[in-house]
Amino acid sequence: MAELDESGRKLTIKLVYYGPAMSGKTTNLMRLHDLLSPDSKGEIMTLETKNDRTLFFDLLPLGFHTTSGWLIKFKLYTVPGQVVHDATRKAVLSRADGVVFVADSQRSQGINNAESFQNLEENVRRVGLSFDTLPMVVQFNKRDLPDVLTEEEIRTRWSAAPWSLMMASALTGPGVRETFVKLLEAVYPILDKSFSLSEVHGTDARTFINAVTGETLGNPG
Amino acid sequence: MEIRARGYDSALSLRELLSGVVPDKLSPALTVLLGAPPRVVSANGSWVMGDTPPLAANARRMPLTHDLETVGYLETTAKDEARVRAVTVILESFMRLGARYFMASEMHIEVVKSDYEELQRKHAALAESEARYRELAENLVERVKEQVQTIESAHRQLYQTEKLASVGQLAAGVAHEINNPIGFIRSNLGTAQSYVMKLQSVAESIKSSGNAGLVSAWQTADLDFVLEDFPSLLQESLAGANRVARIVSDLKEFSTVDQIEDEMVNLNDNIRSACNVAAHQINDHADLELTLGELPPLRCKAGHLSQVFLNLLLNAAQAMSKRGKIRILSHVEKDRIVILFSDTGCGIPPEVMPRIFDPFFTTHDVGSGTGLGLTVSRDIIIAHGGNIEVSSEPNVGTTFTIHLPIKRENP
Repeated sequence: MAELDESGRKLTIKLVYYGPAMSGKTTNLMRLHDLLSPDSKGEIMTLETKNDRTLFFDLLPLGFHTTSGWLIKFKLYTVPGQVVHDATRKAVLSRADGVVFVADSQRSQGINNAESFQNLEENVRRVGLSFDTLPMVVQFNKRDLPDVLTEEEIRTRWSAAPWSLMMASALTGPGVRETFVKLLEAVYPILDKSFSLSEVHGTDARTFINAVTGETLGNPG
Repeated sequence: MEIRARGYDSALSLRELLSGVVPDKLSPALTVLLGAPPRVVSANGSWVMGDTPPLAANARRMPLTHDLETVGYLETTAKDEARVRAVTVILESFMRLGARYFMASEMHIEVVKSDYEELQRKHAALAESEARYRELAENLVERVKEQVQTIESAHRQLYQTEKLASVGQLAAGVAHEINNPIGFIRSNLGTAQSYVMKLQSVAESIKSSGNAGLVSAWQTADLDFVLEDFPSLLQESLAGANRVARIVSDLKEFSTVDQIEDEMVNLNDNIRSACNVAAHQINDHADLELTLGELPPLRCKAGHLSQVFLNLLLNAAQAMSKRGKIRILSHVEKDRIVILFSDTGCGIPPEVMPRIFDPFFTTHDVGSGTGLGLTVSRDIIIAHGGNIEVSSEPNVGTTFTIHLPIKRENP
């Protein structure tokens, strides 16, 4: 649940990149850091082990000021994908406002994707969130690699799921920003309902998304 | 910002962010770099590190940013823009390291706590399971013994029930077959008695008729004796027939042993019919003395209790080395019916006493008894909520005492 600081005029929104080990969650964050240009953008804080595997989490802070003078702050987290770090995943997931599930498109990774997704489902329940209401986007990453599932195969398999499916290649960039925007689109209505973003802060969905991504107003192209 | 909620993603104060540096060493170092003393204050202006107030009027103020927000300021009179900027970067780097350490440690605590709780939960489950198994192991012998007893008891019941059922069927069949002929035998004997009386009435007129041939034939045949003896023969036969009829009726009583339902009976009736059924085996060995007190009606499996009485009677009869006496007493004590079977037989030797209720234990020769009589008797009494006790003295006699609770009949 987003954190409202009335006295500090600040709203903090937590978004989590979840998924199996080595699926490219940290790479997503690094690419976003390069691609986005909001009002304020922090450095990525990584807590990794020696061999570049995420130990606890990565954190990318982003933010912008509304016309009403409030700071809307985004904290983008990744979870450690390795199975043993389940307690950490649970801790990072708690109070999340939205989730990107980063799946590995390689054919060999089907089981890892499925197990991780099941783990997400369990942890969502354990931290008191609901799969029915939690905004979520599913990203199939590593489209640039050979021997990946075709988009058609993926869309057929996930046709019954309610979440947006995004194809991405985090290493080179395509799809990373689009995935993030898709998640913002899903998160905005809930935030607007809770905090009257549109009425009180003069921030409609378009303004909201453009402000986070750093698009110039009225010029999305 | 001095007070913060715990948790890896909680907001941090400048003081916390700089908790990793030693101000006494850093401040002089920064003074060297700036060429003037630095002072670090938090966002609300409170002093954190460096030179103490008051500060010169021409001091500059540079915001220190962490996590997109200004959490404090660097104040200095240094003029060189580049140096001031460099010191700001150095301070922010320290703050960043502090935050990184803080978040890692908070996350570590959270994970350790969560893992520990999980461990505790598993430990508790394991301890519970272990306790269950230990309890099971401790009680295993006892439980097996219980099971064996249950099976043995069920086995005996089955054996007895089948035996009683077949005896009952036989008894019912025999009783039915005998009832008819004994009916007309008794009726005919009565008629025969009246015929003899008629013959007697004509005897005098024949003897005084003066017909020498007739009188001589009468005397040769000794019909005087015949006419005198005939009524008593018939009377004895009638008595015998009546006894047969009574035994048949008692047999029918026993033929109901396979009835499972409870019935209301006066146990004295059951004692009497047991005595009748056993009379043949008892009469040669002992005299029977019944002292039956007033008993309330009892809801019970009457056939089974009759079987108990019969068992005890036959045991008593078999215990007689010479002719003796069997006494049966019944009376009420408080809320229980008490029935005693005493005999003046050979008694039970002390070494045998503990085993008399054991299944298949018998002192009789092979084939003459199953060794189940007392076992089943006790089972039956216990099934009625009662108990059976025995006291015995060798060569003096044995007494079995049965206590049965009087169950109130449900309206």
